[in-house]
Amino acid sequence: MAEIELKTAPADFRFPTTNQTRHCFTRYIEFHKCVNAKGDDSGECEKFAKYYRSLCPGEWIEKWNEQRENGNFPGPL
Amino acid sequence: MIESQRHSYHLVDPSPWPISGSLGALATTVGGVMYMHSFQGGATLLSLGLIFILYTMFVWWRDVLRESTLEGHHTKAVQLGPRYGSILFIVSEVMFLFAFFWASSHSSLAPTVEIGGIWPPKGIGVLDPWEIPFLNTPILPSSGAAVTWAHHAILAGKEKRAVYALVATVSLALVSTGFQGMEYYQAPSTISDSIYGSTFFLATGFHGFHVIIGTLFLIICGIRQYLGHLTKEHHVGFEAAAWYWHFVDVVRLFPFVSIYWWGGI
Repeated sequence: MAEIELKTAPADFRFPTTNQTRHCFTRYIEFHKCVNAKGDDSGECEKFAKYYRSLCPGEWIEKWNEQRENGNFPGPL
Repeated sequence: MIESQRHSYHLVDPSPWPISGSLGALATTVGGVMYMHSFQGGATLLSLGLIFILYTMFVWWRDVLRESTLEGHHTKAVQLGPRYGSILFIVSEVMFLFAFFWASSHSSLAPTVEIGGIWPPKGIGVLDPWEIPFLNTPILPSSGAAVTWAHHAILAGKEKRAVYALVATVSLALVSTGFQGMEYYQAPSTISDSIYGSTFFLATGFHGFHVIIGTLFLIICGIRQYLGHLTKEHHVGFEAAAWYWHFVDVVRLFPFVSIYWWGGI
């Protein structure tokens, strides 16, 4: 019987505060920058996706995805 | 001072201006709210209130000039009042502008996720600080130097020279306001363009508004100097204008460094 491993994003010293909003946002941006630079199936970007998915509320991700589609995402991509 | 008076304080006569100013302020406030909510007659009441306030300002200050310059009620002891008053007013003005620089720094030092965590926010056009803003920055301190020239001329009793110095001071002030107007006219963003536009135009706009108030104050001093109201020993109005002007010219350095330069690159 294989144990299911449950993990959240590792602690990141850039975001030492209790409020992890900026951590979530930065990981979201890092994922998309990584995909833009290395392509969808390089396999290197998956870790960033795991991080932001465990840090960010689902509604935020939906909103940002929508904004990227509409070309009005405010972050530095 | 009246011969029979045994003290050096000015016991003022009853005056209608406090109540007329209050009524003007009431009409302005109510009219302003009505106007902004598109009530009928709002604009009329607002204009009426503003005219009432301007009228009160004119006649009240006219009375003060008569009491001080013509009737000689402003003894050394009485002069302390407007001096402390001016200083406290300027202190409150410092706090007022401090709030806007606080707002600007609050929004720009750690930009929120909503604006993408970057400053200036994406898509907001900012002014090049090394063009008009940089050109405009030394003009106000120069004007501050010119007002010091006027002060020394007054203290030395050189009446004509003081008028020339005040003309120079006011001219520099007008050039500065002209540049600011040009800058706003050509600006790539407006006050409704994100938190950047809100904080930028609130801080620089209120500073510009204070420059205009200071300029009017100096123009009045120039006219009074021309009319011979100010003497070597007695020129509290001029001193208050000069203090105010130094406050305004020094404050210009803060928006330049923190908003135009640091916040715009």
